[in-house]
Amino acid sequence: MDTFLQQLVNGLTIGSMFALIALGYTMVYGVMKLINFAHGDLVACSAFVGLFVFSQLLGGKTSVFVVVGVFLITIVIIAFLGLLLERLAYRPLRNAPRLSAVVSALGASMVIENGIMLLWGPQMRIFPELIPMITWNFQGVVLSLIQIIIMLLSMVLMVGLYLFIEKTKIGAAIRASSIDQDAARLMGINVDTIIATIFLIGSALGAVGGIFVGLYYRGITFNMGWLYGLYAFVAAIIGGIGNIPGAMLGGLLLGLFNAFIAGYVSSTWANAFTFTLLIVILIFRPTGILGERVAEKV
Amino acid sequence: MDGRDLILTNVTKRFGGLVAVDDLSLHVRPGQIYGLIGPNGAGKTTAFNCITGIHACEEGSITWGGEEIRLLPPHKIVQRGIVRTFQTIRLFSQMSVAENVMSGRHIKSMQKWWHGIIHTPASKRDEKDNWRAVFDILEFFDLEKYAAYIVGALPYGIQRRVEMARAMAIDPTLLILDEPAAGLNDNETLALIETIYRIRERGITVLLIEHDMDLVMEVTEYLTVINFGKKIAQGTPEEIQKNPAVIEAYLGSEDDDF
Amino acid sequence: MMKKLQQLGYPLFFIVMALLPVGLNDRWLAIATTFIIFTIVALSQDVVLGKAGMFNMGQALFFGMGAYTSAILNAHFGWPLLATLPVAILIPSIFGILLAGPIIHLRGDYLLVATIGFNIVFVQVLENNLGGLTGGPNGIFGLQMLTIPGLAFLQNFTPYYIALIALLLTLLIFRNLETSKAGRALHYLREDDLAAGSIGINTRVYKIFSFGLGAGIAGMAGTVYANQYSAVSPEAFNFIQSVLFFTIVLVGGSSVPGIILGVFVMFILPEIFREFATWRYFIFGFAMIFAMILRPRGLWPAKFGRIPKAFLEKG
Repeated sequence: MDTFLQQLVNGLTIGSMFALIALGYTMVYGVMKLINFAHGDLVACSAFVGLFVFSQLLGGKTSVFVVVGVFLITIVIIAFLGLLLERLAYRPLRNAPRLSAVVSALGASMVIENGIMLLWGPQMRIFPELIPMITWNFQGVVLSLIQIIIMLLSMVLMVGLYLFIEKTKIGAAIRASSIDQDAARLMGINVDTIIATIFLIGSALGAVGGIFVGLYYRGITFNMGWLYGLYAFVAAIIGGIGNIPGAMLGGLLLGLFNAFIAGYVSSTWANAFTFTLLIVILIFRPTGILGERVAEKV
Repeated sequence: MDGRDLILTNVTKRFGGLVAVDDLSLHVRPGQIYGLIGPNGAGKTTAFNCITGIHACEEGSITWGGEEIRLLPPHKIVQRGIVRTFQTIRLFSQMSVAENVMSGRHIKSMQKWWHGIIHTPASKRDEKDNWRAVFDILEFFDLEKYAAYIVGALPYGIQRRVEMARAMAIDPTLLILDEPAAGLNDNETLALIETIYRIRERGITVLLIEHDMDLVMEVTEYLTVINFGKKIAQGTPEEIQKNPAVIEAYLGSEDDDF
Repeated sequence: MMKKLQQLGYPLFFIVMALLPVGLNDRWLAIATTFIIFTIVALSQDVVLGKAGMFNMGQALFFGMGAYTSAILNAHFGWPLLATLPVAILIPSIFGILLAGPIIHLRGDYLLVATIGFNIVFVQVLENNLGGLTGGPNGIFGLQMLTIPGLAFLQNFTPYYIALIALLLTLLIFRNLETSKAGRALHYLREDDLAAGSIGINTRVYKIFSFGLGAGIAGMAGTVYANQYSAVSPEAFNFIQSVLFFTIVLVGGSSVPGIILGVFVMFILPEIFREFATWRYFIFGFAMIFAMILRPRGLWPAKFGRIPKAFLEKG
């Protein structure tokens, strides 16, 4: 029973991170039907940027003020990078064959990944201990402050995003663009702005996810983006691509699945199980648990 | 010639709550030139899609020479001799005219999948025979000079001819034409009428959808008229012209070709 | 002029490639050998991605399957490498057919992710030393290399020439494919799946065929690769490699010259610029983006008009 609860806690923590990263994928795919392969690398980048902000800009000594500062400054930088990514790598290929956009995305991924390597080197770096390692022990189940913060903050952000998408005008415009880009344009929605907005939001959320990855795993490498990116994309598909609550649900489910595999089978099989799950879902229920929401290209 | 009848009985096709084809029945006899007409959105193309296997219609029966073909996929319908053209031309636009017509020879070729890896004397002969057939068909349709041209770059009227050439390459028993005169000028339409007669002379049954009433009255022998998916009349062109329900349907809508 | 060039192109290419080893040092000979092998894999990728138009980003899976089949049969069961070749072609082909079946109907991006998924599962199976056969993260070493009897003095060059023969074989298959019913069917179903079905092509069967054929060719390349290094390891066949082959076909273009060009750009160029090790992939990424913006269909796109000359002369 201990292992079960422990894996539950671990799973929800990892799942929250997956969910935040998955949101970036799902919003972009919903409107543009494009897998933003560079998203995972932006997430990795944010961990390194967070490290940089902490040690070079904010003095290297932690405090509540510093933690907030790391988050905010990193988010701004990564969100800006996300906008730049869209502008340079995707916008020029709006009308090109779909596969060309995929290659461009892969190229962008390479740029960001190697950019990280150029700036911070190929070895693993240690993310600073921004949040003190305080843990509680409930009858054999270990819960850390970091885990609580990750889960709570993720929840707040996801609820916030959900309300934003469902209750605001811009949110409605995003949903409209997800269903039919051309119709949205005809209704006076500036789809270019909408796309820029989702890249902004998606990257910002990914940035938070990246900092969490740094806080939780401590060791960060320049090429870790791909695997997190793929996992998050699997999460988005599980929940239903283009569907925002779906990405949240998918992320949490995938985190739990991963934790239980690691706990009960072996972590060396985690990838194999995860992607087998993906293939099974693609074959039997490709629209995901909550159903897709993608732009229809008639 | 091949004496197969196409019989639709109580065919119904729904899309969610919308009934696109409603309890449609018709009987096309071998060698006929049969027309399916009706105002825009009446469900004609959907009916064709049901016959050719693009949509699965839930209710009713479609038999061809006595065999039930309602639930067969498109390529199996073609194997049984029913070939169609599309309202919007669906050619392989990046490929040449000759290659497009060659695609029609696909089911006529004896080659197996392994001939894609290794050629045999039989497969080489098969290639020659089929290319020869392609060029014969190009001649029939007066298209030889366009053989090497990329189809997508050619004028609309020529593309229409290529589409018919491709359909004829398959050697059909029943040729289904979906608005073959759409977008054609008067001369091209006259040529089309000629072509339809020549096709019928070869013993091929023709079933067509068309809005150009001059063409319909001239070429067809028997018509079914549908509106909102339902049959509202059937008969010879002369009978249809005088049918009050038909006149009502066309005048009631904005159709001006009548 | 173009026609003359096209006629001379292939013979010229092979003459150059046959004479090449003479002027190369050991490092560049190995690079050239791998260049040829990667060209074969990229061509196999082209069958699925370029000709049949399916978003396959898992070709390294079949490449690795062929390599590992040969390695396992050779190292664990003592088969001579040449004897493993038919099996190394057959097993990936069968897997290609089996794996393609359930996923072929998926929408493009989903198919892409499914193939990545297969690749990742495969690599992890290799790393976990399944059944004690696959050798774990370090792979399998010490394979008995292929030798051409009587040409022992060319021992150094043998892997290179074996690769070249395999490439020749692949190009012959390609030529046969392009002038056959099956090959044309792939083009038709790529251009317009619905139209292809409506003129009688069983698109599902041909899509699976393309997967099987691509897998078989990649499997053959795998054996040649295992021969070159007399070893196999999982990381040579991970999905990042698949991304490489995928990119080669799209950046180079779906034609034989395009693919050779693509392998050159994506593989040889980084080797040439090895001194700029840290910067090369960074620049590369930009190059890929610009290549797609400027030439969305690749540097040397496919051209149609494969009409037998005899018939064109008549008209």
